[in-house]
Formats: sequence, structure tokens, C-alpha cells
Amino acid sequence: MAADSVHLSVQEVSLSFGGIQALTSVSFDVREGEILAIIGPNGAGKTSMLNCINNFYRPDKGHILFEGHDLTRLSPRRVAQLGVARAFQNIALYTGLSTLDNLMAARHIHMRSGLLQCLFYWGAARREDIAHRQVVEEIIDFLEIEHIRKAVVGTLPYGLRKRVELGRALAMEPHLLLLDEPMTGMNQEEKEDMARFILDVYERHGKTILLIEHDMGLVMDIADRVVVLDFGLKIAEGTPEEIRRNEAVIRAYLGEEMR
Amino acid sequence: MTNPSLRARTSPDTLPKSLLAGYQKYGDGKIAMRQKDRGIWRSYTWQDSYQQVRQLCLGLISLGLERGDKVCIIGDNDPQYFWAQLAIQSGGAVAVGIFTDSAPQEIQYIVNHSDAVFVFAKDQEQCDKLLEIRDQVPAVRRTIYWENKGLWNYDEPWLISLEEVQELGRALDAEHPDLFERSINRGSSEDLAVFCYTSGTTGLPKGAMISHGNLIAGCDQTIVVDPRLETDEYLSFLPPAWITENTLGLTIHLRTGMVVNFPEAPETVQQNIREVAPQSLLFSARLWENMVALVQVKMIESTWINRLLYRLFMPVGYKVASLRFEGRKPVGLLWRLLHTVGEFAVFRPLRDKLGLVKVKSAYSSGAALNPDVIRFFRAIGVNIKQLYGSTEAQVHTLHIGDDVRFETVGVPPPGMEIRIAEDGEILVKGATVIRGYYKNPEATEQAFFVDQEGQRWYRTGDAGHIGPDGHLIYLDRMKEMLTLSSGEKYSPQYIEGRLKFSPYIRNVMSVGGEDNPFVTALINIDFDNVGRWAERHGLAYTTFVDLSQKPEVYELIQKDVEGVNRTLPAAARVRKFVLLHKEFDADEGELTRTRKLRRGLLGERYGDIIEAMYDGRDNVKVQAAVKYRDGREGVIETRVRVATLEEKSA
Repeated sequence: MAADSVHLSVQEVSLSFGGIQALTSVSFDVREGEILAIIGPNGAGKTSMLNCINNFYRPDKGHILFEGHDLTRLSPRRVAQLGVARAFQNIALYTGLSTLDNLMAARHIHMRSGLLQCLFYWGAARREDIAHRQVVEEIIDFLEIEHIRKAVVGTLPYGLRKRVELGRALAMEPHLLLLDEPMTGMNQEEKEDMARFILDVYERHGKTILLIEHDMGLVMDIADRVVVLDFGLKIAEGTPEEIRRNEAVIRAYLGEEMR
Repeated sequence: MTNPSLRARTSPDTLPKSLLAGYQKYGDGKIAMRQKDRGIWRSYTWQDSYQQVRQLCLGLISLGLERGDKVCIIGDNDPQYFWAQLAIQSGGAVAVGIFTDSAPQEIQYIVNHSDAVFVFAKDQEQCDKLLEIRDQVPAVRRTIYWENKGLWNYDEPWLISLEEVQELGRALDAEHPDLFERSINRGSSEDLAVFCYTSGTTGLPKGAMISHGNLIAGCDQTIVVDPRLETDEYLSFLPPAWITENTLGLTIHLRTGMVVNFPEAPETVQQNIREVAPQSLLFSARLWENMVALVQVKMIESTWINRLLYRLFMPVGYKVASLRFEGRKPVGLLWRLLHTVGEFAVFRPLRDKLGLVKVKSAYSSGAALNPDVIRFFRAIGVNIKQLYGSTEAQVHTLHIGDDVRFETVGVPPPGMEIRIAEDGEILVKGATVIRGYYKNPEATEQAFFVDQEGQRWYRTGDAGHIGPDGHLIYLDRMKEMLTLSSGEKYSPQYIEGRLKFSPYIRNVMSVGGEDNPFVTALINIDFDNVGRWAERHGLAYTTFVDLSQKPEVYELIQKDVEGVNRTLPAAARVRKFVLLHKEFDADEGELTRTRKLRRGLLGERYGDIIEAMYDGRDNVKVQAAVKYRDGREGVIETRVRVATLEEKSA
């Protein structure tokens, strides 16, 4: 894997809501096959940044280049088809469907059969369905959620739903995985499990991962590099070790007690 | 019924030889094992199983395994676990099972104590534990894993995958194609097959040395009274490091052809049981109780029509079951008709949901099972049997056929013998009794002895006695037994536990000990249930105090006490009891917050009543301080009667 080639390039992105400047000329690169974490205090613009990459928000200025495409010009659906998948902070699953159905639904961007074929479930449509199911079953095995395969997602505890949410993003077989606070609201054991899954995704599939997280300890453990935002500005970028030592970061975010 | 001795002579005498015989008999034509993986049940034929074991065994040999070596296995129920065990045994070595939830220090102790030279560790979680203690287990040459998830990037030559070992085995096989079967044929029934480390409540775990002959005897004794067919299905979910899974799972599989199914994950066992619908099943008492609770909860959430059918037909199920099993009377035509309707409307669907639709042998082991739970399952058509055994001698007793009694643990199967020692300890003899604990002659000396006829006995450490019908009644661990002033022993746990199974008894404290000549009991009636009983029988009462002192209520409770007494040796029976005028109360410190008895405090507070039971008074005046709910304190004064049970000559 070419570790240094740029996979996603955020170039001088600015975003404002009315008079509020959410992002001010933020630039950074995500390299192929790395885990990059964006950290920052509440309201620093972390989720806004992800929303720009997904193209839920259109930046006022700047470009976001991904595998030769400028994402700011594309629809969210097209962004997903290019291979950018996201696991949401607030969990965006179909709560009335089972785990399996949720993951199968995430495969739709890869489905090609026409309506008529699907209606009769023959030939290519049937083969396609089986192939998709295989991918989904691998993910179920990977995330150790066999026991809730048929369980309705709405009845699951929060920690498990977060895991299904990650599974849904993985089912899209993305090239770039965006994780929006994958460990919020979890207890220590669930957090450690999730960290292990993220590292496994990274090691096994060599995926590029862009991660937003509050829990500093875990970020420092699993990220290759860290970008720090504060009030919409990038104030630092570097390895976890460099970030720990960075004066500006300590002032803005980590507080005095970290020293 | 096959003669067990005949069977032993004509059939293979080790587990690997049984595998070989099964392979020659079934080849590729019959499924041996199944495991759910990626959502699909995948099958392995006898040929697959045989080939897996063959390659793995030869792989171990090429890594240096020698006869008599020990190899540890730590992992969940998977085909690979069984294959590893059989491969180790085919090489003439001993398999040592370790529970998956063991901490690294416990693993370290067992690995070192057993002198293991290899360890099978299922996955990353277990391999990490092994890596943590690596420096403390220098004798271990390699650790072999069979699930590579998360281990992809481990650069650690000490770890090796099962496939790599099999690869080595294939190379050796090409050079010496007869090596594997020659190695199997060198084995004999005297060879040690497995070590099971028993985690005693005190001290370090002991390694029970179990031979092939022991395992095969355990299997054959069981299937003589509870036959298994080669078409039977079994779900392997008990820990494979435990003797029970070795006997009831692996050994029976090898010797009867029964198909072994493996759950997808430890969390999916309940779902997988339903899919497999096994013919035989062993749960702990707790699990059976949980199942009843689950049905009741699901029923509340169910549709009105389901609830209606359940309410309508469960009483029919109870009625017919009690006629059949307890009354042993013929069931009338009308009841049979209703029962048939109930079978289709309620019982069968319920059994299906619980995975009990094909079950022939449903066993419970461990703690005593509440008769209400047994009655519930009988009502839906499942007759749960007790099974009592140990690591050291496998199955001691079990209920055979329809001869199932609530209060007993059954009778010894042919080939086993039970004796009660002078001090009440249960002793067992049979071909299943092991030769001792590994590297622990002291413990071996204590637990086993040889009688005048040269027969080997195991001291179970359990107290029990044999009832008039020949069934064994299990009382308690020996060390929990208390002694009366007469020197006789009795079990407070047993008396209290069994009495509390009565719906009319809420709580009990038994009294005895070295100062007293016999056992007595302080009993709290269950106000709701006794109250309802009183209303049904037109008995008027005012308060708890009033109800508890009614002669009719004394008679009612006396029947329960007599029922428990019938299961006890004469000296250990309850001779007198009192129905207390008030309940034991956690707010008054009489119970702990987890509702355990505070015996010392209770003994003091009810000292006068207890004294009355021993000095021959037939009633006693009580003044009890009570705290009312509004915080006021008051005193009630009343008399409580002492009931005396007639002494029957035993």
C-alpha cells in the first residue's frame, strides 16, 4: 500500500451558517491507508467537516478532492457510490428492521438488478442477492453480532446499535470510512471492543479511516495522525506524540492538567 | 438391551480407534458434525473429520509430539476443538482442557502443572493470554490457533495456525502413509485421554486423570439406559473442558454416530437449540428455571389469542401430567381429548420455541430443581430427569425411563455401584472411577480407596442416603452438614431448600446443632398462598397472626414437612416446628438485604420459642416488638403452638 499517497485532500474549506463561521479555510490531507483523527472541543466544527466531505453541506469556499473527484460538486448519493461511507454519531439505522436487513439495505448502492428481475428473484438477481448476503455475513462474523442477526435494531442496547452502525458503513465496502464519534455513550469495555474493531478493519482491509472522537485516550492509541480544530480553525496537525506536546492544543483543548 | 461387557469386548477401546471405526463405517456417506458459520449450517462428514484429525495429528508429531505428552486446549465449542483433542489422543498424548474464561495466571498454573508441550488457543483473545505468560511457560513449544481474526499482523513465530500444522502433517503423511493408523493402534484403554482440572472451592485446581477406558465406560453405561441413535442430533454447548461434554458429547458421538452440532457463537446457543432440535439436552437447574420465566414473560407480551389458549390449556397439561406421573393413574377420555387439542394449540408450539420438540432425554444437573419447574415442563410434554455425577466418576446416578422422582437424583446405571458410608458420604464404584489426580498423591489418597475385593471406590464428598425405592437422595456437600448432640448428621440447606419449594412456605430456619438432640424448624407461612387456600376451604381469618395459628394451617404445613421427612434418614428429620406469628423481616435485621437468614440474630430473638420446642411445651407466649409502616413501634402478645411430628420407625 502506498502509505504516503494522498487519498482525500481538504483544501481551504470554509463554511458558514448565517453569521456563524463554522469552518475557516481548513486544509489537511488524509493519506491512503491511515487512521486520521479530528479532535477538538464542542463546536469546533468536527461534524461540520464530515458533513462537507459527505456533501450534506456545501462549503462556501474550497475543494475536497477524493480519488480525482471534487466531492463538493457531487450529490451525497454519488459520494457514497465513489466509496465514502459514514457511521453516524446519532446512529442512522432503520430501527424497525433487523440487523441483517439493515446491512443488506446498505448494499443497495452495489445492486444492479432491475425491478422485474428482483420481482421474480431469478437468474442474476438471485445470484446477486446471494453474493451480497455473503459480504454481509462476513461483516456479521467480523463484528461478532451473529446473535442479533435477526433481532430488530430498535430493541438493541446502544453499544450493539453502534456496532451495527459500523457494520452498515462497512457493508458499503467503502474506500474511505468516516466514523463520527463511534465510542460516545459507551462504557469502557464497549469502547475497547470498538477500538479493536476499528483497528481490525484497518489492519484487515487496509481501509483509510477518518475518525472524530471525544475520548482522547483512545484517539491517541489508535490514530496515526491527528488534526485539531478549534472554533473552525485548524490549530495543529501531527502524530499523537506531537499533538500531546503542542502548546496551542494544550491551551485550547487538553487543559492544563494534561501536563 | 445390549450387555455392556459384551459391547466392551467387541468395540474399539480408545476414542481415536472409535473415530477410525466410524470413518470405516460411514466414510463420506454420513454427517459427523455441523457448525453454523456465516449464517449457514456447514456439514463435515466422517471422512472430513477423520482427515482433519489425521493431518493435525501428523502435524503435531512432526513438531515433536511424543506419546504420553500433554497438550492444553483452550477454546469454545468448535469442530476444531474436538479435532485437536482427537489428534492429540491419536498421537498417544493427553488433552488438557482449560475453560475459556480463565485468567492468564490460571492458564499458567494448568499449563505448567500438566507439563504441556503445546497449547491450542482458539483465537486472538486466548493467544494474547498465552503471549502474556509466555516467559512463565518455557516448556510450551508452540501455541496453535484456529481462528486467525485479529492475528493477521502478529509477527510471532511461537504462534502457528492449525492449517500450518496440518500442512506439516500432509508432508509427513506423504513420507509415512501408515504412521497415523499405526499410532492409533498403539493406544489402549488404559492410556490417559484427558485431564480435567477441577476448580475446588479451596486450594489449587486438581488434574483428574481420565483414561480412554473411563470415558468409554461412562458413555456405554449411559447409552445402555438412554440409547442414542446415529440419526440423533446433539448441540455441543457445555464447556468442552468439562467432563460432561466429553462423555455426553464427544464420546457418545464417536460411539453411536450421533451428529454433533456446534453453535455459531456462545451467545447464539438458545437460537441454535431451536434450529437443531436435539434429542438429548443437559441444562443446569438455573437454566431450566430461566426458561420457565422466559415463557411467562413472552406470554404476557403475546397476542390475546395466544394468552387465551395458554390460560385455557396449561391447566389441562398440568392435570394430565399429574395423573400420569404423580398419580400413575389412567387418564380419562375427556382429558385425553382436551390434551390432544392442547398439544396442537399450545404445548407443541411452546416446545418448538424452546427447541424441545424432539427431545427424548432432558437432564438437569447441579442444584435441585424446583418441582414447579418440573411440573411446568411435564405439562408441556417434557419430562426432565436429574443426573448426578462428578469429574472423577462421570455419571453416578440418573433417572431412567419414566421413573422420575422430584426428590431424588435417580439410580446408578448398570455397572455403577453406590454405597453410603458410615458418616453419610456417598461412595461410588465402577469402570468410570479414575486412577487419581496428576502429580497429587495426597489428594488421590484422600479421594480414592480400594476395598477388600480390590475394587476402586471414589469418595464423592457429598452426603446422601438411599430411599426405600432404591433412588439416591442427594443432601449436600459433606462439609456443609451439621452434627446433632446425638452425633447424627443433618443438612440445614436441604431441609430449608426443600421446604421452601412448598408454595405455602415462605421462609424456614432449621435449628439443631451440637446442643440439641433433634432438628426443629421455624417456619414463615406464605400469607398470600395460605390465605387463598383458606378462602377456598371456607376458613375465616383476620390477620397474619390469626391465620398462622389455625390448626388447619398447621395440618397443611405438617403435610409438607412430612413429605420432606420421608426423603430423610430418621435421625435427620424435623421433629417439631412452629409457624411463626410474623415473617422474618429484612427491615428488622432478621434477613440480609439479599434475603439470607441472619441465624445468630434469629436464634436470639426467637430463643424462647426454640427452647419451648426442646423442653416439651406445646405452646409458648410471645411478645414481639413490631415496627409499623408509619414508623410507630408496638408490641403484640400472642401464643404460638408447637407442632410435634409423630416418630415413625424408620
